[in-house]
This record gives sequence, structure tokens and C-alpha cells, in this order.
Amino acid sequence: MIRRPDRQPREDARGVMEYRDYYKALGVPREATIDEIKKAYRKLARKYHPDVSKEADAETRMREVNEAYAVLSDAEKRAAYDQLGRGYQPGQEFRPPPGWDAGFEFSGPGYAGAEAADFSDFFAELFGRMGGAQAAGRGGAFHMRGEDHHAKILLDLEDAYTGALRQIALRVPRIDPQGRVALDSRTLNVKIPKGVHEGQIIRLAGQGAPGMGEAKHGDLLLEVQFRPQARYRVAGRDLHVALPVAPWEAALGAVVPVEVPDGRLQVRIPAGAQSGRVLRVRGRGIPGEPPGNLLLEIRVVLPEATTPKAKELYETMARELAFDPRRSS
Amino acid sequence: MQDEDIVTGLVLEGRCFTLEELCAACGLEPDWVVRHIEEGLFPAPEGARSEWRFTVVGLTRARRMHAFERDFEAVPELAALVADLLEEMDALRARLRLAGLE
Repeated sequence: MIRRPDRQPREDARGVMEYRDYYKALGVPREATIDEIKKAYRKLARKYHPDVSKEADAETRMREVNEAYAVLSDAEKRAAYDQLGRGYQPGQEFRPPPGWDAGFEFSGPGYAGAEAADFSDFFAELFGRMGGAQAAGRGGAFHMRGEDHHAKILLDLEDAYTGALRQIALRVPRIDPQGRVALDSRTLNVKIPKGVHEGQIIRLAGQGAPGMGEAKHGDLLLEVQFRPQARYRVAGRDLHVALPVAPWEAALGAVVPVEVPDGRLQVRIPAGAQSGRVLRVRGRGIPGEPPGNLLLEIRVVLPEATTPKAKELYETMARELAFDPRRSS
Repeated sequence: MQDEDIVTGLVLEGRCFTLEELCAACGLEPDWVVRHIEEGLFPAPEGARSEWRFTVVGLTRARRMHAFERDFEAVPELAALVADLLEEMDALRARLRLAGLE
């Protein structure tokens, strides 16, 4: 649904686009049987599955594979594609002749699937009229709510503290008065409310697939994810962060500054704090009802003994304190 | 680009989806969900069917299971097993992230 940078429309103003070789996408010969196509699809679906794939371009490849399978696993679509694409090479400019599909009777599920918005302009041009024509042919008596679409929205942690406006690009199927489906490119400015966190979904009502007849559009469901960042670790609304302290701050107690996404705090370190101890600052995690907590993991950092003075201080401690860290307490 | 809008979404968390909303979000028929609940493959929500509420985690599980059944013609029990393993993997990844190891 959300257009990635690698999926810029390849169609120019005259409706010319690049030919897509669906057989190549699945790695099967043109004469492959339906069983061979199914087997190739499953193999690739496993390889590029978003939950497990380590491939850098897994999402893009999965979309290509899904699109190819949607065509080649359907006898009618495959026949139309075979007839139309004869002699074309992948990436070659392609424009279907007017009325090319007059001899085909499309009866499949059409072009309303949830993945349809992820398919290419090439697919939309060839098969776009199927679902739309069926809907139009029902004379408006048939009404069905459009499907919900899903996407992820990557946010910065700071967005959760302050709220934000994020721009997302969509590819939205649209049914024209002739019942033909086309993909529109559209930009939405989405208001991100303060307090969002991972595990939540932002529902944008009416931004999903168009409904049939007079039925409503589906919704767009945005799964919230934070960009990975080195300093903070996030669990729900709680924020975990390492807090380096000097040995004398840990031993004697101190008030130290701590940078947080929405500013700076002064935090009291209790005397006798040890590395690994966690200080909880209530309510200073991600805002909300209730707000999360800030969890500061103390890490005592030793100054290096690289100067005569530092060495002397360490030697004094060794002599005066009689401290054995390996002795069980 | 055809137009630009500013839209404000509704933030969903906890047990936020009715059966109908879950089905709309996943492109499923209610019978599919009911059948999988009755067979113990999908966590049973509390209360009567009209009171069922599903979580965001439940939404992900329904989408995954349905995709495995559709793409691999997996029997529902196998789809549920794979979903169980993926949920376990999600939990372990979350622990790794929290430990600063991923």
C-alpha cells in the first residue's frame, strides 16, 4: 500500500510501461504446469517470507512473486498474459493495444485483493478492469465494503513524545465510471498523536480499498514501528537506557543529568549504587494513560590509570580499603 | 500526486477489534475465525460471540495463519503451529532488543 522508493510508477503520460516477465519472476518455463508454478511460488514465498527472510530486497521480491503468481495461477489471466506478452522482453516498453481483452472472459476474483495495491501498473493495465467490470455490471445493486489495507509506519522515538506529521505515499485502486480499475498515486499527511508506541495500530478510516457500489472504502491500518536507535531500548511505553556513572558518583551518591527524548532530567543516584542496578523514573517514558517509565541501568565506568595522579589514587584505595570484589557477600 | 490531505487516525491497542473488524482487517469470513477458535487453533476471546474482542497480536496471528493456509495449502493445525513458532520468535527478538543484542 505504501509506495517504497523502489516502486516508483514506471508508466509515462501516454500509458507506456515496462513489460514484466512473470515466468522469470517465478523461475519457471513458459510451458510450466500449474503444479510446477505452484511449487515454484511456494519455494519463493518461503525464501522471501517477511517474518524470516534475511534477503535485503525480500519485500520487493515477495511483491513481484505474489503478482506473478496471481496471474500465472489463474488460467484466464495466464492465457491473456501469454497472448499479449508474446515477443516482449522484461523492462521493454509495453502498451496493450485497445480492446486487447475482448476475447477473454474474466471470472476470477478480480482486482480487489488486499495485495492488489502493491501490484505494478503493468498488472493494473492488463487486469484492472476485471473486478471493476464485475462491480459495474451489477448495476449498483451490489454493495460491498472495500478491504482494509495494511502497512508499517516507521517513526522516530521523539515522535512518540511530541507527536508528529508524517507523509506517506499510497497507491490506491480506483474504479472509474466505466468500471475500470486504475492505480492512483496519492500522498497523505498523517497526524501521529503523542504517546504512540510499538504494538499499536493507527487506523485511518476510509483510506483502504474502494467499496463496491455505494459501500464505504476500507481502512488503512498502520502498524507502528520505531526506527532502530543505539541509545534507547523500548518495551511498550517503557524506555530503557544505560546510565554511565563515575565510581565516586556510584559510591557517594550524586545528582547527574540524563538526556531523554523530550529534554534533560536531573536524576539522583543513591549512594552505594552498583553496575547493573536499575533506577526507575516513574512517568518519564513514552507519554500516555498511564505514561511509561524511564529505566536507567547504572554502569560504573572507571577512569583509566594513565597519569601518576590517577595511579596514586588507585594505589591509595587498594591500600586503604582492603576491598575484595570476589569475596562473596 | 492527486491531492494532499491531513488525516488523523485512531490509535488501536489492547482488545480493540470486534469479530467483524478483525475479519474486515484480514479479508476473512467470520466462519473462518469461529472454526479456528472452536478447534483451539486461535485464542478464544472471553464472553459471548457478540462480546468478543481481539488484540493487535490476534490480528497478526489471523493474517499469518490465513496466509499459510492460502499460500502453502497448509492444514489449519500446521498453520497454527507455524504461527506459534513465529510468535515465540517475536518474543525472543523483543528480549534481544531489550538486552541491546539486536
